[in-house]
Amino acid sequence: MSIASAAAVKSAEQTGAAVRPWLRRGRRRPRFGRNLTAIVFIVIWIFPVYWMVDTAFKPQSEQDTTTPQFIPTHATLQNFTAAFHQSGFLQNLRNSLLVVLVAVAFAMIISLFASAALARWRFRGRSTMMVVVLVVQMLPPTALLIPQFLIFNKVGLTGTYTGLILAYVALVLPLSIWILRGFFVMIPVEVEEAAIMDGASTWRLLRSILFPLVAPGVVATSIFAFVSAWNDYIYAYTFMKSSSHYTLPIWLVSFSSPFGGTNYGGQMAASVLFTIPVVVFFVIIQRNRVTGLSAGAVKG
Amino acid sequence: METSTVTTVAAEAVAVAPKGRRPRRARRYTPQSRFAPAWLLTPAGIIVIALILVPIGFLIYTSFTNYDQRSLFTGEVSGVGFHQYTSTLGSSQFWSSTLLTLWFTAALVGGSLVVGVGVSELMMLLGKRMRYVVTLVLIFAWAMPTVAATQVWNWLFEPGFGVVNWLLTQLHIFGNLTNEAWNNNKWLALFNIWLLVVWQAVPFIAFTTYAARSQVDTAMIEAARIDGASELRIYVSIILNSLRPTILLVALLSVIWDFNLFNQVWLISQGGPNNSTATLGIWTYLSAFTSFQIGTGAAISVLTTIMLLVLSGFYIRRLLRAGEDL
Repeated sequence: MSIASAAAVKSAEQTGAAVRPWLRRGRRRPRFGRNLTAIVFIVIWIFPVYWMVDTAFKPQSEQDTTTPQFIPTHATLQNFTAAFHQSGFLQNLRNSLLVVLVAVAFAMIISLFASAALARWRFRGRSTMMVVVLVVQMLPPTALLIPQFLIFNKVGLTGTYTGLILAYVALVLPLSIWILRGFFVMIPVEVEEAAIMDGASTWRLLRSILFPLVAPGVVATSIFAFVSAWNDYIYAYTFMKSSSHYTLPIWLVSFSSPFGGTNYGGQMAASVLFTIPVVVFFVIIQRNRVTGLSAGAVKG
Repeated sequence: METSTVTTVAAEAVAVAPKGRRPRRARRYTPQSRFAPAWLLTPAGIIVIALILVPIGFLIYTSFTNYDQRSLFTGEVSGVGFHQYTSTLGSSQFWSSTLLTLWFTAALVGGSLVVGVGVSELMMLLGKRMRYVVTLVLIFAWAMPTVAATQVWNWLFEPGFGVVNWLLTQLHIFGNLTNEAWNNNKWLALFNIWLLVVWQAVPFIAFTTYAARSQVDTAMIEAARIDGASELRIYVSIILNSLRPTILLVALLSVIWDFNLFNQVWLISQGGPNNSTATLGIWTYLSAFTSFQIGTGAAISVLTTIMLLVLSGFYIRRLLRAGEDL
């Protein structure tokens, strides 16, 4: 192959062609092999997602078949209505939204202040704080779960929404500080200097200059925080005692048909509902993050 | 939950790191701004101390006590010195869990890196439309919440009507596997979990590596090609070499993430059968919240943390050294 390409170079030089021959060769080479590999990869990787959606729309009679039915012939929404009517769904959905949104809002406000300080000021102990923020995220899940459970149990916070909200704040805060700080760092220092020259106070500088400039970053960060808390299973499973206080992930795992055995149609329908907001958010992030970062730089 | 935490931080680190952009920071321009960091950091400081640092201290304290189910109600505990540690280190389950965690982490990191880097290379070779489809598929696998993914996995591998067993039976190699219960066998259960974790991990690795891969200087590759280097040689000496920092970072984060693996194991095998798939995380949880030997659980958790810190010590050291520039 290399000899061939060398020959191609030579012939191209002789004919005086300006085109790069090895690129042309690449174009001529059939893409069949790589496309086939890509298709195999796509089929394997999308199959679990496809199977979830497929099962969600199949009636029970088409789910439990000795030969799997790959395309539902009688697509139905009955699994979704079954999931909705299953006891606890709406209650636990409400719990999930309440706990996660309050925790994210709380964490956002706190991390907005903290990341501004860590990105825009130099002071003693700053780098230590940055390292602490990073290292606590590496801890094994049980290292925080066990002591938080014991402390919350002592002060009567286990089984309450407040306890779970606090646990989620602790879960997402380091991550939020870290990501938001990246957005603050992107703001050119000249913007800040100009504001100070014009006599802006520190609070004025934060409120009118820095905070508005990181607004896209706050959106992106809160989505990351939302997804982390929304996906949590083990905190809610450990802390919450009664099923009326469960969050959606626990409901999803314990979902089973009233006749015993798992009703996979209903469970897959519920999984679809649980997944949709996250997929939407991932798509938003993909756009928002990029534009947010570049917009912040250009505006400066 | 830890999954997304660590991965997004990694994404951030990867996005910021290569640019090496360090704008000058604002310094004390006005007298009042001198104290600004203090009040800006106070709320976060309170939360971090109260909900993270104090709990870690309490975990260490608990590991030196006989905290159990009774203590949860009475609050009575007595110090037992290093007893929890000696009994943990003396138990065979601890060692088998440690061994399992170590090799399973290696298998997960290896598997997801090979596939992830492979997919990033594949994306380079594909046409625009095909690449778009691959990106879309990766986003779906990435966005799927772990709890939903584990439920889908349980359904895919369900004995009786599971589609995977049906597919394997159709191959006529392994005989009739229709009623094979994957979670009743240590190795099959682990393989099942391995597939799930690799499926979830590949998108992040592929995207990160792809971002770095598209930065590799094509002139260098072209030059090597003119000099007659084989495609394999070009890949190893030029491409993999330029990707080394990225792959190293992704590998380190995968180690942390896979070492801390919990939900996937818990929701697929619960550490069974007979604790044979109980990784350190699972074993800690079982000790603390199923048999309610909380003191023992705390000791295992402390030991696990130390192990992880040693494993990622290289990374932390680099962080500390880079701390001034962060």
